[in-house]
Amino acid sequence: MVWRVVPAAAFLASLCVLAYGIVRTDDRTDPTWFALLLVAGVLWGTALAPEIRRLARRRGHPLLHVALVLTLGFGLVTVQILRVQLFDRERILARTSDPTSGVIDVRRYALERSITRGKILLSDGSVIAEDKLENGRRVRRYLTSAAYLAGYYSPGLYGAAGLEARYDADLSGRTATTWQAWLDGVLHRRRSGNDIVLTIDPRLQELGQSLLGDRSGGIVLLDADTGAVLALVTAPAFDPNLLSVPLGASADEVRRAASYLDRLREDGRGPLLLRPIQGLYVPGSTFKTITAAAALQSGVATPDTVYRDDGALVIDSRVIIEQNRPDTTRVSYTLREAYGYSLNVVYAQVGLALGASRLEETARAAGLGERIPFDLRVAVSRLTDSPDFLNAPAGLAETAFGQGQLLVTPLQMALVVTGVVRDGTLPEPYLVQETRDAAGAVVWHREPRVWRRAFDQETARALHELMTWSVEHGYAQAARIPGVTVGGKTGTAEVGERAPHAWFIGFAERDDRRVVVSVVVEHGGSGAQVALPIGRTLLAAAVGTG
Amino acid sequence: MKRGGPVVRWLELQLLVVPATAALVGLLTIYLARVGTTQWTWSDLTVSLIFIAVLGLTSLWLGILGLRGDQLVLPIVAMLACLGLLLSQRLSPTVGGGGLWASLSQRQLAYLLLAFAVLWITVAALRRLEWIKRFKYTWALGASALTLFTMLFGTDLGSGARLWLDLGPITVQPGEIVKVLLVFFLASYLDDYRELLTSSYRIGPLSLPPIPYLIPLVVMWGIAVLAIVLQNDLGNALLLYGVFLVMLYAASGRGYYVGGGLLAFAGAVIVALRLFPRVQQRIQIWLNPWSDPTGLGMQPVQADLAFAHGHIFGSGWGFGYPQAIPVVATDYAFAAIGEELGSFGAIALVALYLVLILRGSFIALRIRNGFVRVLTVGLVTVLGLQTIIILGGNVRLLPLTGITLPFVSAGGSSLITNFFIVGLLLRASEQARG
Repeated sequence: MVWRVVPAAAFLASLCVLAYGIVRTDDRTDPTWFALLLVAGVLWGTALAPEIRRLARRRGHPLLHVALVLTLGFGLVTVQILRVQLFDRERILARTSDPTSGVIDVRRYALERSITRGKILLSDGSVIAEDKLENGRRVRRYLTSAAYLAGYYSPGLYGAAGLEARYDADLSGRTATTWQAWLDGVLHRRRSGNDIVLTIDPRLQELGQSLLGDRSGGIVLLDADTGAVLALVTAPAFDPNLLSVPLGASADEVRRAASYLDRLREDGRGPLLLRPIQGLYVPGSTFKTITAAAALQSGVATPDTVYRDDGALVIDSRVIIEQNRPDTTRVSYTLREAYGYSLNVVYAQVGLALGASRLEETARAAGLGERIPFDLRVAVSRLTDSPDFLNAPAGLAETAFGQGQLLVTPLQMALVVTGVVRDGTLPEPYLVQETRDAAGAVVWHREPRVWRRAFDQETARALHELMTWSVEHGYAQAARIPGVTVGGKTGTAEVGERAPHAWFIGFAERDDRRVVVSVVVEHGGSGAQVALPIGRTLLAAAVGTG
Repeated sequence: MKRGGPVVRWLELQLLVVPATAALVGLLTIYLARVGTTQWTWSDLTVSLIFIAVLGLTSLWLGILGLRGDQLVLPIVAMLACLGLLLSQRLSPTVGGGGLWASLSQRQLAYLLLAFAVLWITVAALRRLEWIKRFKYTWALGASALTLFTMLFGTDLGSGARLWLDLGPITVQPGEIVKVLLVFFLASYLDDYRELLTSSYRIGPLSLPPIPYLIPLVVMWGIAVLAIVLQNDLGNALLLYGVFLVMLYAASGRGYYVGGGLLAFAGAVIVALRLFPRVQQRIQIWLNPWSDPTGLGMQPVQADLAFAHGHIFGSGWGFGYPQAIPVVATDYAFAAIGEELGSFGAIALVALYLVLILRGSFIALRIRNGFVRVLTVGLVTVLGLQTIIILGGNVRLLPLTGITLPFVSAGGSSLITNFFIVGLLLRASEQARG
């Protein structure tokens, strides 16, 4: 009875040993793996031993042993085949996808050639990226000035970046799971990847680009109800056509693209950066929205709480000079007025009254320090560089009015405004609306989702009132749009010696359409004079009164 | 067994339908994959039709000769040869400066026909294998002379080893036939000294094999070492030495001869590793081809990629890119099959070899005559070990060596020699009984 169990047990044990080896070792020539193979071979020998012994009673045993050893050899070869074709497959393929390895995988290229890559479309169906045949070669071509949103696809040189990389599986048809796709693969028919449709409204995108002109900066325009990105403008940008190197490109083409990329990298203005989501800026006064939120939510202040501002405030040895008072003879202001007139001295006091932990809590709830879920890589906004910066009163005060060590993305500030409009919740922003197959049928459609709650409903309503007051009576008056509820906050962020960054964040509500904008013009000067007009024009256009 | 008149080998004929069908379907697939349409005529399948005709005629010829032995070996070998033929059609690079027999596929067909001719002649001419024993020193002398001649006048076809003899229009690899001659000699020699099987003697605590075993052990070890050092031919050294150890074991039944022999070989390899950077480099590339993926490691890396892309079902005949592997037709035939036929095809191929080897082993088991028995074991081991070494090299179980995959790899010398071995096996199987 025992002899019946032993072979089966030995065989099972060998499978366990091999499974362990596949999990633990990276390659088929790892010494540990060889040792485990040897163990598995011995176990197989054990499993076969009773049978050999039974046969050997009648036949010469040396020959059986020879047959056994040869059989084990074939067994080990089979294990190696299974490992390379089933278990190590992804590892091997991943290794060659690194272009610096120099390994040429012709099969991958061939696969790419056999598939027409999907298009990238804007929300009205206009194309920004598509495959074209040029001189018998398949070339990726980018159209319109918004093409940088696609990233680039350059199989002959750099692989892919941006949406082209993130949605590569869809665009190259690898995600197709239908029977038709499987059949096409088996029959070696020409396949097409899926198209991806962006939420971008080309009219607003173009408007944003023309408003920004050749100034460096970034704009993001969101639909507050869904989180859909209606415009995502960066300047300066790059031309993906010059980076797209098709397979089989000549050495000259490759060299040209490589030198273009080098130039982009060395360009101090950072044309490869998608500013609205990857640019980190000092927020300036726009951050007062978050400070106010923390104060209102924690009960430290109401919109009507009165603060004293007599032109300067000394904290430790740091002097904060007030330059924003509308009337230098007036020394008391409510929190609402201080928001609308952007009074640093007041917000420094609010910050000190709040303390570091409550400010940190609200900032984190609003998304600072978190990676915003998005279709592209987003830089993480941060409240401080060093954890104890807020423990010093001067640091806390500076942070409260938007300077200090704060660094935020325009997208982050736009999300804060959506929280104000949406009673406190932040949506998951998104750029890709849906994917469609080559025939135009929708394969996948985005369902808007809530990312997190930034503040409670009452706080959101109070902030809404603060922001509209700022447009009705404060310094953001130029943002008024007749017949539309508009709220906003300007910012003029000090950045050392150079001119300050000009900021504007705001929202517009008309009927059931609610949109949010966030504008940064690098070293543009005054937020009210430079960034606000851009934001207002976009908001007006987005709610249909432009 | 009594000699009888002509017979019809029905089982064999029936089984040959499988390689025949595979040859037709496979060639058609390759042809259609290349032209990209579904239009074809029978003349596109000429190669397969010739192959099928030869298969049928071979079985009939064996029947006419009255061969009553094994009927499985030929169909298995035919299937392997069919895969080899298809692979050569598939790869089909032009060899040399053109002409009628310029392409690899045409050459391979010619070699295959020649190999079948050798099979026919072998089975017809060698009715009793005991005849081989009478010329044992002739075989030994022949093998030595050929080896020496190749070492001195051989040419290197790019593998870093002088293994080929240039005979004008064709080049031959004498190493292939040397293996068989060596098996002839060893079988005869070991059979002669069979009675000394038990007479080991002791020196102090050591129990040494009797002198007639010890001498060839040392000589073979020396030859293997020389092959590694002088010819840079690790594969053949391993193969010859392994075959020798197996035959020694089969004749004597003493496991420790094999153990001692293996230790001695391992020792030699370790010393070679220390002394010769070339050997060390080869081991390094085996263990980590990614250290130089575009230079020395290009072959194993591309083979890995071929296997990886093959996945479970493979890309299909004609739809893969095995040409990306340098020297695929001889060194990496198995990787090409792994890519185009997938794990299923690759494992089926391994299974075919396994069945062939086991069939050969069981033929040997049932042979009473000591000489024929050891001879058969030797021949089977030549095929089996060679297959394991090259398959192991392809899947990186072992370092890659330049030996060929029996019946599949491109190359005339190896094909003809292996069919010669099949002929001998078929004759030997006639003596299997009980």
